[in-house]
Amino acid sequence: MTTSIASAKPSELALVFPGMGPSGYAELARFMMVSPRARQLREAADSVLDYPLMDKYRSAGEGYSEFSQVAFLITCFALAEWAQEELGIEPDLCSGASFGEKVAIAYAGSLTFSDTVRLTVQLSRCEEAYFRLEYRDVVTQSVARTPEQSLMEILADMADRGEWHDISCFVDDDFFMVSMREQNLERFNGEVRAAGGIPLHAMRPPMHSSVFSALRQRVADNVLTDFRFADPRLPIVADQDGAVVNTAAGVQSLLLNSIVQPVNWPDTLRSMRQRGVTKICVAGPDALFGRVRCATSDFDVVTVNQRMALRPKRPLKYAERKPS
Amino acid sequence: MWDEQFEKLLRDHLPFLEADEELSGDLNLREFGLDSLGVVDLLVSLEEMYGVHFINDDLTMETFAAPSVLWATLCRLINSTT
Repeated sequence: MTTSIASAKPSELALVFPGMGPSGYAELARFMMVSPRARQLREAADSVLDYPLMDKYRSAGEGYSEFSQVAFLITCFALAEWAQEELGIEPDLCSGASFGEKVAIAYAGSLTFSDTVRLTVQLSRCEEAYFRLEYRDVVTQSVARTPEQSLMEILADMADRGEWHDISCFVDDDFFMVSMREQNLERFNGEVRAAGGIPLHAMRPPMHSSVFSALRQRVADNVLTDFRFADPRLPIVADQDGAVVNTAAGVQSLLLNSIVQPVNWPDTLRSMRQRGVTKICVAGPDALFGRVRCATSDFDVVTVNQRMALRPKRPLKYAERKPS
Repeated sequence: MWDEQFEKLLRDHLPFLEADEELSGDLNLREFGLDSLGVVDLLVSLEEMYGVHFINDDLTMETFAAPSVLWATLCRLINSTT
């Protein structure tokens, strides 16, 4: 579907933050240096970090380091504010896929931006320490164009061989992320190809699996206790099941459940649709969640990215536009 | 050398390749904007356009790394179906 944010009534619009994909350093760094709002957020981040973000981010490069995560948080948050100021969007709902949950929590005001930076860093360090010792041989493989029935047959066969697996993300009807031991990856990918599917990327460390309950407990005991969550000003649609989160306790559960439950993006979007959402604004460098069929076939999708925000000519504000 | 419809389709999936820039055989497609979902979309379009079916070892990211590799794979599939 085409994008036409100008004709969206606010009640029909949800703001969505993407999951973190592989973003090159140059892409986000330029935005954080040039965009006035992103610069302010970077300075706010520097004030709560014990290092200058850009120096560390430059050294780390691509990947999922805590520096990359903070850079992604800054970028998405700045783009959401840009969309609010320049496009005049007033969403009644927000959501975030996987990492995007954290941005949604900040945007909804359940945590301040500075606290969300601290949370991001502490979660990253906690996960890194956990996966340094646990499940070192587990990866999360994404596969596209794979019919669900074919995938289930492949996974049933894997289970029959006594090999563990878990679906970590339902991205679309034929797009999944599956966690498994690395020794099974080659055979799994071969079977996916034989079924006409295409294996994309293997993520290390893995994510979103029920076997990570010890990590969930560690985050509950050692990380979340350091933060004071408020009730979100804007309802957050949980990316695990589409439930609406309205309370501070619900936000904490959302973060914890994210560790042990799969992302279910079709269910999340279905929930939004049932609540009257017809248009979604994706704020951030999105390579996936706003582009898959379950999003584009059911919603008008507009993606607000760095290139759009840095364009010299600004669009009219929502209130200044005439209905088409 | 590939045909015009292949060139046009491929260019449509390369947002960072200017219209007047050459599409060389060894162009790094990922660097010019062909990301994962772009690969999936391009794959489906190629199958529809040329009446072929990618399967098994053709379904790797390496197949979509450069125009020459992709075109060679496509030609092999076309020849195997005729």
